[in-house]
Amino acid sequence: MPMRIVFEGVGKTRKYYDSQNSLWRQQVVLRDLTFQVEDAEVFTILGPSGAGKSTLLRLVNRLEDPSQGHIMLDGHLASSIDVIALRRDVGMVFQLPAFFPGTVRENVIYGPKLHGTKTGLDGLAETCLAAVGLSPDLLGRRTQDLSVGQQQRVCLARALANGPAILLLDEPTSALDLSATLAMERLIARLAVERRLTVLFVSHDLEQVRRVGQRTMLLIDGHMVELSETEALFTQPQSDLTRRFCAGLWKEEKHG
Amino acid sequence: MVDVVLALVLVAIAVALSRVKGLNLERDILLGTLRAFAQLMAIGYLLNFIFDLHRLELVFVLLLIMVLIGGQTSSRRAKSLRGRFLIATCAIGLGTFATLGLLIGLGIIATQPRYLIPLAGMTIGNATRTCSLALERLRSELTSRAGEVEAALALGATSSQAAQHVIRAAVRAAMVPLVDTLKIVGLIQFPGAMTGMILAGAQPLDAVKIQLIIMYMLVAAALIASLSIALLVIRKYFTRDHQLVVL
Repeated sequence: MPMRIVFEGVGKTRKYYDSQNSLWRQQVVLRDLTFQVEDAEVFTILGPSGAGKSTLLRLVNRLEDPSQGHIMLDGHLASSIDVIALRRDVGMVFQLPAFFPGTVRENVIYGPKLHGTKTGLDGLAETCLAAVGLSPDLLGRRTQDLSVGQQQRVCLARALANGPAILLLDEPTSALDLSATLAMERLIARLAVERRLTVLFVSHDLEQVRRVGQRTMLLIDGHMVELSETEALFTQPQSDLTRRFCAGLWKEEKHG
Repeated sequence: MVDVVLALVLVAIAVALSRVKGLNLERDILLGTLRAFAQLMAIGYLLNFIFDLHRLELVFVLLLIMVLIGGQTSSRRAKSLRGRFLIATCAIGLGTFATLGLLIGLGIIATQPRYLIPLAGMTIGNATRTCSLALERLRSELTSRAGEVEAALALGATSSQAAQHVIRAAVRAAMVPLVDTLKIVGLIQFPGAMTGMILAGAQPLDAVKIQLIIMYMLVAAALIASLSIALLVIRKYFTRDHQLVVL
């Protein structure tokens, strides 16, 4: 059950409290984004921190709603779909693993259990754990006793347990070392193919984006700077900003 | 009254000590002494007046005012939340009147001002404290466990399912002081009501009986109040579409 995601003129402004001047201010996080992510595509969103990448992901599973424009999932307006049903179809892995109190098993079956699944939970937990390359021996372990790499895999297994069509990955490897990062990337690529998942992968890491993404959007300061085939972004950038960012020069320029 | 005036010698000693040792507490002690005298005398006369009237509706009005003051006090702990005063008042009122009603219904206490007012006062005071603690804790738990809450939401949990652990932690934390008091009462601490009754000449066992009823009432009322306030307030932290509102 693959799913196409369409953004149409999506903008997001957020209110925040300026405690220095004691007043509420508006901050524009995303500006007029129009693009689409195809069925079963691994789509990467590249950008510096604070660019609005996480917010963009959070709009897809409606942890937040856009201030302007709208998002279509499989031809339906996201805001018109029952939000609980939508989130079951859209799995998310956050930057830092966050668990519910209890064992790996309890975490993995959290979603299905919420939605009334009572039988076959043990089998499901084992399948999902195996899908992320973890041994079923871990099922009874407490989550805090695992390595961070294992924890992120459990988070992925937890998202898979709902049988999602879309996977949102918010810098899922930022807490991992290089070998765990590479293993996680291979795992995600394999899952995307095996389960025909539409994957939105957020990263600030140029090398990672190049390894992972079929197409990539460069997002800076809430603006879509460029969207193209990932390789083309690096080899034939259409704008000077893209060229500088992909050459790793953007940051220095901004601060220098 | 002569006794009370004589007891002022103790205050004089405290003031003298403060002066000699340069603690600079004389003003505060004198002011506190005066305030305590005025407040307690006033409530003494008021209670006397109400007891003599034998009018239950007046008692009810007084209890209602006490609940409102409790609600006002506790709701300050939920700054910036809309409807906090109403929620806190309802929670404290529910805890108080449910337990009081049950005690009356079971015939344990008589519907006389001399029972109702002090019992309700203690109950409301405790429920207020527990509600304040619950509100504080709810906020801090929601902030520190936002990742966990949003992970649950992302898996298709409703707001109340996602906040389940947070609510539990907040209510448990709020109940700790009272539950601990239950455990040590009589061993370390001699509670006020019992002490007062014994001083006033009651048989120790009678005093203990009243004290037990009070304690059981306090626990039930505080739990009902803090659980209600947590369940009512948690909804304010989420939108109708099960989104966690940024705190």
